[in-house]
Amino acid sequence: MFNIFRWTSKSLTRTMATAAQTVSKPYPFSKTAIILPEPYVSPPLPLVQGKGLMPYLQKNLTTPEKQTMLRELFGRHSAKRIYPGSIVGVTLEHAPFAFTGVVLAIRRRGIDTSMVLRNVIQRTGVEMQLFVNSPHVKTIKVVQKPPKGRMKRAKLFYLRHSPEKMSALAGSKKGTIA
Amino acid sequence: MLRLWTLKQKPHHNLILKCLHSSSNVGASPAASTSFVSSNAPSPPTKWTPDSIRTGLIARKRGMTALWNDQGARLPVTVLQLENCQVTANIVTTRQDKSEYHAVQVAASDKPLKRTTRQMQGHFRKAKVNPKRIVKEFPITSDAHVPIGTTFSAIHFVPGQYVDVIAKSIGKGFQGGMKRWNFKGLRASHGVSVSHRSAGATGAHQDPGRIWPGKKMAARMGGQRITTQNLAVVRVDTSLNLIYLRGAVPGVDDAQVMIRDAKKLAAVGRHNQAKGLYEKVLPKGVDDLPFPAGTLEMAKTLPSIIEAPAYRVSPFVPRE
Repeated sequence: MFNIFRWTSKSLTRTMATAAQTVSKPYPFSKTAIILPEPYVSPPLPLVQGKGLMPYLQKNLTTPEKQTMLRELFGRHSAKRIYPGSIVGVTLEHAPFAFTGVVLAIRRRGIDTSMVLRNVIQRTGVEMQLFVNSPHVKTIKVVQKPPKGRMKRAKLFYLRHSPEKMSALAGSKKGTIA
Repeated sequence: MLRLWTLKQKPHHNLILKCLHSSSNVGASPAASTSFVSSNAPSPPTKWTPDSIRTGLIARKRGMTALWNDQGARLPVTVLQLENCQVTANIVTTRQDKSEYHAVQVAASDKPLKRTTRQMQGHFRKAKVNPKRIVKEFPITSDAHVPIGTTFSAIHFVPGQYVDVIAKSIGKGFQGGMKRWNFKGLRASHGVSVSHRSAGATGAHQDPGRIWPGKKMAARMGGQRITTQNLAVVRVDTSLNLIYLRGAVPGVDDAQVMIRDAKKLAAVGRHNQAKGLYEKVLPKGVDDLPFPAGTLEMAKTLPSIIEAPAYRVSPFVPRE
């Protein structure tokens, strides 16, 4: 298993380096199909046989930037991980271009990892479920960590019905922050 | 004008099919009403036509994940992997009404020799392939035969086309009417005793005085052959022999599935060809299909990882 991931990081860095130099082969069956960069080396035999294929795909079907984001912010043992109850600001490529909110829930599913952010904007509660791997999510920044390091729950859906607890979490930081 | 869809493709029920499978080369003298295809003779390169039916492939369902397309929309995808999928026979039979049935026999997933029966060992030896776990047949038109021993590749499917997937569904065991047939059950309270999920009555009264055959009842559910139609091919990866389909596929992970070109959309394409709407014969973005099949040799000359763009207006652009 360790070997597969070692191969992965090597091949990806080489792919990024050589993508500009290699000319992609023509694909006669579709003019509008997207041709992605070729892998530098042929994959190891266990992957071709299907052993460890899905964990490999979960790690590698994304760009290295997103892989870093997933590993550092959503890894279970990362030092910089996001805790439920923290206040997080994200910048997006579609409206609303920036959104800040309390993290209510983190759903860890490899590349399908998502989190739910809640905020009250102009007296209306607004929640957003953001998929970390989406190309529309540009940056994720932790604005404030939860009180006393962590909350006593993994999912904070009870905050939907208690605005006083929400404002206690927010503390001095009220309203949206760009 | 000859309507091609009325060709005698289906056998009549009361006629006996003469099934003489011709997997061998030239040398066997042609029998009375059968013809065989000399499968390993080099044939001129044929091109896909809207009236051709290509062979399908056998793959393994590896699992599901998510992909984000070029517009940033999330697509749930099923990952299918080809495991040494090869042709083991080309079948041509003549029915009693003189119509021809053509098929390609495909086998996948290598199996240890000692666990293969003598009969199947002989069959695979004749085709000069490793013994396989699963052997299935795909009906085709006469121009779509593939030489015996050809190894298929994921390049056989073009990103942007639609496929049908056939697999055995997940077994649910013995299930009651509510789960199996969506029965409503009975009330939760108001006097209902001990039968909240039961089917209730099963028939009328003295007339007919019996239960109609085919009455929906509790029994074993699942574990049956299911066809899921019109799944879009999102991405194709020939380095790992992966096909990414948008949507769900029946069965458990690592189960064998059969993939073939979508029948109903191909029929629509044939009708459009007959009407002269040549732009609507293949799905948007697909210009041609590998014919008669996408092989390992073809995959070496083509790019490894190909993805289909979203052939629609971006859902993230606000509309007036």
